[in-house]
Amino acid sequence: MSAAEGKDAHAGLKTKFLAAAVAGCTLGMIGLYMGITNDEPDPRPILGWLLGLGFWLSIAVGMLMLTMLLRIFRSSWGVVVRRQLEHGLHAFPVLAACFAPLLLIAWFGEGQAGILWQWINPANELPELVDGSRHHVSEDILYLKKSGYLNIPFFSIRAIIYFGIFCGLAHWMRKCSFEQDKDGSPKWTVLGHHISAIGIPAAALALTFAAFDWFMSLEYHWFSTMFGVWFFAGSMRAGLAVTIIICFFQSTRGQLKGIYNQAHRYDLACLSLTFTIFWAYISFSQYFLIYQANIPEETFWYQIREINPITEEKITWWWVSMGLVFGHFLAPFLYLLWYRNKIDVQRLLVAACWILSFHLLDMYWNILPGRVLADNSLGYLPREFTISHWDIAAIIGIGGLCGLRYLQSLNQSEVEDIPVRDPQILESIHHHE
Amino acid sequence: MSASPKEKAGAPAVFKKIQPAEWSEPALVSNGRSFGWITDKICGIVESKTPKWWWWCFIVCLGICSYLGVGLFYLVSTGVGTWGLANPVNWGWAITNFVFWIGIGHAGTLISAVLCLLKQRWRTSINRGAEAMTIFAVMCAGIFPLFHVGRVWFGWWLLPLPNVNAVWPQFRSPLEWDVFAVSTYFTVSLLFWYMGMVPDFGVLRDRAKKTWRKYFYGVLAMGWRNATNHWRNYEMAYLILAGLSTPLVLSVHTIVSFDFAVANLPGWHTTIFPPYFVAGAIFSGFGMVLTLLLPLRSIYGLHDLINQKHIDNMCKVTLATGSIVGYAYSMEFFIAWYGANEFEGFAFINRAFGVYWWAYWIMISCNVICPQLFWFRKVRENIALVWIISIFVNVGMWFERFVIVNTTLANDFLPSSWGYYSPTVVDIFTFFGTFGFFGLLFLLFIRFFPLMPMSEIKAVVPEADPHGGKHE
Repeated sequence: MSAAEGKDAHAGLKTKFLAAAVAGCTLGMIGLYMGITNDEPDPRPILGWLLGLGFWLSIAVGMLMLTMLLRIFRSSWGVVVRRQLEHGLHAFPVLAACFAPLLLIAWFGEGQAGILWQWINPANELPELVDGSRHHVSEDILYLKKSGYLNIPFFSIRAIIYFGIFCGLAHWMRKCSFEQDKDGSPKWTVLGHHISAIGIPAAALALTFAAFDWFMSLEYHWFSTMFGVWFFAGSMRAGLAVTIIICFFQSTRGQLKGIYNQAHRYDLACLSLTFTIFWAYISFSQYFLIYQANIPEETFWYQIREINPITEEKITWWWVSMGLVFGHFLAPFLYLLWYRNKIDVQRLLVAACWILSFHLLDMYWNILPGRVLADNSLGYLPREFTISHWDIAAIIGIGGLCGLRYLQSLNQSEVEDIPVRDPQILESIHHHE
Repeated sequence: MSASPKEKAGAPAVFKKIQPAEWSEPALVSNGRSFGWITDKICGIVESKTPKWWWWCFIVCLGICSYLGVGLFYLVSTGVGTWGLANPVNWGWAITNFVFWIGIGHAGTLISAVLCLLKQRWRTSINRGAEAMTIFAVMCAGIFPLFHVGRVWFGWWLLPLPNVNAVWPQFRSPLEWDVFAVSTYFTVSLLFWYMGMVPDFGVLRDRAKKTWRKYFYGVLAMGWRNATNHWRNYEMAYLILAGLSTPLVLSVHTIVSFDFAVANLPGWHTTIFPPYFVAGAIFSGFGMVLTLLLPLRSIYGLHDLINQKHIDNMCKVTLATGSIVGYAYSMEFFIAWYGANEFEGFAFINRAFGVYWWAYWIMISCNVICPQLFWFRKVRENIALVWIISIFVNVGMWFERFVIVNTTLANDFLPSSWGYYSPTVVDIFTFFGTFGFFGLLFLLFIRFFPLMPMSEIKAVVPEADPHGGKHE
């Protein structure tokens, strides 16, 4: 498909993405505004924005890591798939832009600066204690000990560094591939390999601390050395799922028609299965070690995802937790064990959509539950699981923006459908099991 | 790119633009060696007269192994008190050595099983030696917990046999899980190793000139005839065992990490332990593979079979896993501070600057800093330097376990109960002796068993590819 044909074919899709981006982002921004300006400030729309951003960021991070892993292993089968990943990496700058409103609230939100990350505003009230006394974040010993790390200037600098690393690596991954289309020089293959070698540890550190900052510090009392690895595992699953979905559409009606074959699907499915197991391994290890140790300063994080401390009844999050165990691990694990499900176009598409849906649920589970102020013996009431229109707006809006960036990259006239001058392109096209 | 007219008609338009950049990957077997050369080279190691160096090494290993015998005899006849274990350090060298050897025992099955599933063809030259290393390392590892029970003849009490004494073992303890995990891992690894050798035993049997050799390898080959159905069954069994071994590799060191992580002790209770231990095990295993195979490569002239590509890849895996271990060290330190738990914070500061500071910095230098040299091609191409770094990796990984075990136990919550652990001469004899035991077994392996899988190596030379390595 030539670039001109591609533009025509994608015109409809572009309009849809644009509409989604405008509608979703507008509603999301209204939510952010209302969240901080209401008489009773409501963190829910802001959490929804973070959720949408986290969801799309995890996909982009997964695609970035996958691109670099394919490069570092000199994987021949993945060359034709890699081009789609490179188009996807074009989304990073807009993701950085979508993070900006959250930073602006932190800097200029005054009394509501800490509406999302409580530690940002030392004047925020903590849950009432059993003796009826109330304390502020500024009096919290745990905040005071962490304040060298959890403060707005350092937090902002770190966010810039994370996005700098992601955007920089995405830029170079794309450049190495697109430039080779033009001059066919093997130096781009070598350069891509070298950048990936340095980029993987850099991105690993960036995604780890990003997960600590943006998700783990929502409950800043809690900590886990495994949290960064969880984000990596989830991102890889999401990145692979989106790659499979993109390759499905591109192979049925787009650039990969007649190129993307059964063996490519099989390898992508095997990777999905691997990271399904890896995600379960990481999530279980974190849960098991905290459960086993039974230390209150760690277990509360799981408790607010399980029970109401007043009634001691299971809350909605418990069902979500079970959904993750069975839906995010067991079902795709068993499904992807079958060879036929790995090679069949429709069946693999079902698996990818399933994993992506449950990944979103996993993001909900990790981001949304929190302690809402309440007078009870444990000092809190958990925030129940809800799907808000703010979440949907953010997911659709930021997704629309990412889709637009993908199409923008896809329609560049000088970029070929596949890396036609990659040294391993023939092996990739003729890849067989 | 050439294609048939039919293919051309249906091919996407972009195919016309395909013009791959010039690129050459180094061959997995250098100098275009033939099938016959590969067979002669590998069989020659077993068939030739026992070299003098082998006898010298054998005698030295036997001498070192005698220390193990003396150490264990003294322990059994006197009691576990002869080891330096005492309050507050009740694990000391015993579990340090156990985890050290178990870690080494990971690379073999990893190279054979995980790299097989990942279709990494470069593994073929090194997998057999690594598998043998696995078996022998697990045997060395097993000695420590077995003798730590004191009355070693009651070691079978670890097994769940309720009709004896009407007592079940403590199923909730990861130490009991170790019994199942390690014994299962050993069994499957042994089967995997042996089954992989069956076709090669067949070759050795067919080439044997002496009667005892014919019978020896004939029995081991179990009637292997190179028949199509033999190969089909073999390939299927190999794949199934690879599939079974992969979760086992991960489970064993995960459970070993649970030995520590389930305890509510600062420095032990940290959620990243399972993947961190697995990465560390792979790291130490590859370190030992390099330590063992590089000298053998020189002695037997195996440069065409273990060439720079293999060494490069092993160095890179070592670098990657060493960096993952470094990541885990950093996370532990950071979260110890971020968690704001003063005991956890103290445990890590104490590791780096307390009485065992020297062990901590040896660990960091060997495990995190040394492997970073593998970023440089010149280092990877300097075989002597690679070998020296591999020794550092082995040393560093022993110290990692020493640091984890001792710094936490020696300086616990109450300063009044602090102590300083020192091994006794029995500890030292026992650990030193295991190297002799390991060396003896490995020497016997290279003398009597095929060091490399001939059929698998032949499958990666261009002659074996029906397309001649071209995808035109």
